[in-house]
Amino acid sequence: MAGILVSVLFLQVPFSGAAVKFRYITSVYTDDKGMPLMQPEGVACNNKSILFVADTGNGRLLRYTFKDEAIEAGAVEIKADQLRYPGKMKMNSKGEIYVLDGKQRTIIRMTPDGEFKNYLAPTGLPSPSSYVPRNFTIDMKDDIYILDIFSQRVLVLDPEGNYLRQIPFPEEYGFFSDVAVDSRGSVLLIDSINAMVYAAAKDSASFYPLTESLREYMRFPANLTTDNRGRIYLVDRNGGSIIILGQDGSFLGRQSGLGLKEGRLNYPSQLCINNKGEAFIADTNNSRVQIFEMVE
Amino acid sequence: MKIKGVHLRSATLFSFCIIFSFIIAAPAYSKGEFKLKAGARGKICLKCHETFKKTLKSRYVHPLLKKGECTGCHVPHTSSHKNLLNADTTKLCYECHKKVLPENARSAHQVVVEANCNKCHNSHGSNNKFILIKSGNELCFDCHKDIGDNIKNVRFKHKSLEKDKGCLNCHNPHASAKSNSLLRNSMPALCIKCHKTNKSTFKRQHMNYPVAKSDCSSCHNPHGSNVRGAIFDVAHAAVTERKCDKCHQKPSSPNPLKIKKQTTQLCRECHRDMVAQTFNKNRVHWPLVDKVGCLNCHSPHATKQQKLLKGPVANVCGTCHSDTVELQEWSINNPKNDRLCEPVKTGNCITCHSPHASDNVLLMTQKSISVDLCGRCHEWETHSTHPIGEKFVDIRDKNLSVTCLSCHRACGTGNNPAMLTFSSTYELCIQCHIERRR
Repeated sequence: MAGILVSVLFLQVPFSGAAVKFRYITSVYTDDKGMPLMQPEGVACNNKSILFVADTGNGRLLRYTFKDEAIEAGAVEIKADQLRYPGKMKMNSKGEIYVLDGKQRTIIRMTPDGEFKNYLAPTGLPSPSSYVPRNFTIDMKDDIYILDIFSQRVLVLDPEGNYLRQIPFPEEYGFFSDVAVDSRGSVLLIDSINAMVYAAAKDSASFYPLTESLREYMRFPANLTTDNRGRIYLVDRNGGSIIILGQDGSFLGRQSGLGLKEGRLNYPSQLCINNKGEAFIADTNNSRVQIFEMVE
Repeated sequence: MKIKGVHLRSATLFSFCIIFSFIIAAPAYSKGEFKLKAGARGKICLKCHETFKKTLKSRYVHPLLKKGECTGCHVPHTSSHKNLLNADTTKLCYECHKKVLPENARSAHQVVVEANCNKCHNSHGSNNKFILIKSGNELCFDCHKDIGDNIKNVRFKHKSLEKDKGCLNCHNPHASAKSNSLLRNSMPALCIKCHKTNKSTFKRQHMNYPVAKSDCSSCHNPHGSNVRGAIFDVAHAAVTERKCDKCHQKPSSPNPLKIKKQTTQLCRECHRDMVAQTFNKNRVHWPLVDKVGCLNCHSPHATKQQKLLKGPVANVCGTCHSDTVELQEWSINNPKNDRLCEPVKTGNCITCHSPHASDNVLLMTQKSISVDLCGRCHEWETHSTHPIGEKFVDIRDKNLSVTCLSCHRACGTGNNPAMLTFSSTYELCIQCHIERRR
């Protein structure tokens, strides 16, 4: 009984309000053959410290393993005829890779080994059936959430691409650039023009503003992700920084800033955070991927 | 009844006279407290301030001056405010003219918000109604020069501008609770006061489309234009050719104003090559493929701007990219920034960025943001002896070469001179030349 009490007292309750800092570890500049990255726009990571990079300018994907604060040798280059302009990426629980191809404006699915599997073709969509994926995300159940800017909604699909439900955009908004799902199943959107985060609770059919305009803290947030503690991370593309919000949308801090030196960012495109507290950032205009450790 | 030889009635009357005299004399007594001469609150002022004698002869005189009450606005001895005013100019007029700026105003004249009443009114008197310093449209054109020039020079004029009230036929000079741009009413309610939409000529001119509830300024320039019908000078061919059904349903259909397809798909029908070229690029400007499509930036009917843009380039881009446009404006207003990039000074984003699509990052028109792009205007080879070009690696990032963006930021840098990324040349140089740090 005493043991249970002690455990409860010292139990680490997730505290989304805790400040977090990004400690710079290293950067990825090239593949194994020394060929430099060129304006990478996507990163995907998992809890096994596998890192996928969308080396956009070179039209390829690269797979790395990050271990003991260093990138291991043996990076794998992945090219596919179907993959012309890889952008944002995600990995599902099976290690399958989803890539948004900017030129075709479609989502490509690849096996964990990097082989082309298929184009994500949603089935059973209600009217209107046309959609344009501005961005997408995958939740813990491997359901896929597509930010459809053409029909002004978030489409929710099962792992096979079958339609599950949709959440229409709110009446008034600027322009949504990204979608994320947090550990509670809430769907989040980032309005880049107004620098506002919108949220829809799990299974809810509508969005509400989670924050007011955060323009005083950032310039043009274009990417959105969450961690397992419920914190929300916004990639301020024009400001070259990462903005951290609490689960309730409260401002918690800002990391990095615009620059060329290691630790600074230059029009970053995507941030990936795994459960080990490792953060991988596609530092696009600096043509590299930077790796940070999140420290509380 | 007599009391000790004095009639009660007489005593009462006498007391009443005393009290009455006291009441009458009280103000005089209070004046007497300052020992003011007659006319001291205003008329006496004219003995020294003789120019106001002429003002008093004006057709319209401020009521206080007319009454000879200069002290209504001025303090006769000393004041903390200019011209011995009772209060700051931003507050003085509003002490009496409270309703000039209503609380629920949808738009307000900047001079009114700033309480700069003397920009339009003479505080004392003038020969113009409402003691305006000038009469008619000329007063407005003092500030709104471009509009004034346009109105004077266009071929097809808006007749309401030539009528009695001129600009004020449509605009409220102070504020409007009903509409933006100080309009007295929203459109089309404002327009249909004069333009009767049920007339057969009106219907014929609009190809029988029910536009009575539409925004007239979508096609027509309310200040006049060089195109018949006062349509904006830059008009979509379908509008000038009166082929509305190219985009809209037939006028006889249940929903005639509805467009036939989603915007970009509709535009593609005529602008086939341009759209095909656009979608062949690696990166498309995302608003082009959302629900609104081309109409995010372009007007479908007519505008003042080339390429049917909704407004000047910086304004259109600034609708979404306000952070960048604000940075540009900050840079322009910074006196240290005497060497600003021309596109930044003029707000011409499309000098460097493609508004539709590009194969390059940030939709740049050129692949290399250095020699290829900046070198079109700037002689980078004679810029300095500093090595620039692909052969030279930026030591801060081995994947980058030394280019213009190694030192400069293209859209402006606020307080930093010459669009440098740091506030001084020294601060910039020691980023790489660490050995030179003091």
